Amino acid sequence: MEQGLSNALNVLIVGMATVFMILWLVVIIGNLIIRVTNKYWTDEDLKKSAPKSNHPSASKGAVAAIIAAVEIVTNGRGKVTKITKQ
Amino acid sequence: MDIFSKLFEMTAFGIVTYKTVIMWAIAFLLLFLGIKKKYEPLLLVPIGFGVLLANFPGADMGIVAAENIELPDGHYKNLFEIAHDYGILNYLYYALIKTGFLPPIIFMGVGALTDFGPMLRNLKLAFFGAAAQIGIFSVLIVSMLLGFTINEAASLGIIGGADGPTAIYTTIILAPHLLGPIAIAAYSYMALVPVIIPLVANLLMTKKEFKINMKQMDKLYPPKHQIKNIKTVKIVFPIVLGTVVAIFVPSSVPLLGMLLFGNLVKEIGSSTSRLAEAANGPIMNTATIFLGLSVGATMTSEVFLSPKTLGIVVGGFIAFAISIAGGIVAVKVYNLFAKKKINPLVGATGLSAVPMASRVANEVALKHDSNNHILQYCMASNISGVIGSAVAAGVLISLIGG
Repeated sequence: MEQGLSNALNVLIVGMATVFMILWLVVIIGNLIIRVTNKYWTDEDLKKSAPKSNHPSASKGAVAAIIAAVEIVTNGRGKVTKITKQ
Repeated sequence: MDIFSKLFEMTAFGIVTYKTVIMWAIAFLLLFLGIKKKYEPLLLVPIGFGVLLANFPGADMGIVAAENIELPDGHYKNLFEIAHDYGILNYLYYALIKTGFLPPIIFMGVGALTDFGPMLRNLKLAFFGAAAQIGIFSVLIVSMLLGFTINEAASLGIIGGADGPTAIYTTIILAPHLLGPIAIAAYSYMALVPVIIPLVANLLMTKKEFKINMKQMDKLYPPKHQIKNIKTVKIVFPIVLGTVVAIFVPSSVPLLGMLLFGNLVKEIGSSTSRLAEAANGPIMNTATIFLGLSVGATMTSEVFLSPKTLGIVVGGFIAFAISIAGGIVAVKVYNLFAKKKINPLVGATGLSAVPMASRVANEVALKHDSNNHILQYCMASNISGVIGSAVAAGVLISLIGG
């Protein structure tokens, strides 16, 4: 019984240490990926490739919604190149 | 007269015992909780009906112990023989559950429904998902003192992770004979999160702590880094995290790897959206049906009506409560040293029960201050709790099952 409890105590210590270490790694990895993408692949890069609307009143949100809708409907095959008002 | 005697023998009246009736009552209770009370209906309804199927006398639908399918030379019967000798539920159990197939499949669907965004925006809160795993390991020790073997105690403790598939996966490997009661306890307590979190929080938190406003704290102490391209971060994160975790805790890969794969196909977007839809729709739904029915069918009266079941019910509750308390205490300790205070309710959501734990904590915070919306902060520790409990399961399987 004592041997079993000693094992269980070891499992508690090793287990909690491992869980904390992995979630610490999650924090490190997350921060690292955020820094790298912020430096080398910002949203501006994406915006450059985004289509421009000829209509001045079209908001960024509306353009984003149109792009998202076209992507979903065409399963990613369609691309919005130009938005004009009829 | 002879024909009446044969008719009577054909029916099950002669073999219904008081134990059968008790198991029917348990099945009806589970169905009532699932259907009427809407407590985890997607699982409690199949599990409840599985219990019913397993306890129809003469139907032979209950799951048989592994000794029955073991051959003298140490090998096992093949699936055709199992289906022939013990029926379709045993076929499903030994093909899909005993092999550990379904829990990772469900985790893939969970991954396809999970958004790591809130956690990535508040990475520091991930630590509280680690603190909330303390219930798993502390109940392991308590259960051993109550007479459970270390394998059984570990399976009981994992209920504290508040994650059904993880609890089932761990129990299949460590103590398959307790699968039914442990699965029921895990899902029942997950359904009772709206009761247990406020209960533990009221015991441990002061009124001042309930009112800590996370958004105000963010304004006072803004985060150092803003994420400029969240889509790319969300795509790279599961790939890198999966690789690193696989090196440190390989035994957590079946669960965590599938979770991260499911998440990846969701985050890639339209080009893999069909895979994500399949993972979180038809595949997960099918897996849930087979998992629920098979787990329910393990609960025959011989297995369920034993003192150990009572121990599992009590122990599971303690594991759950300690895990919530662990998260709250960790935040309280953090607040002693940090300028930027965190609402301890965020720690209470370090369990895996996503997103219910976060929703409940948010409602509790709003009761104390109608402007204090803490949902996104709770989701950060809640999602990290999913990772934490999968890692905890991996540790238990490695150290005890290995």
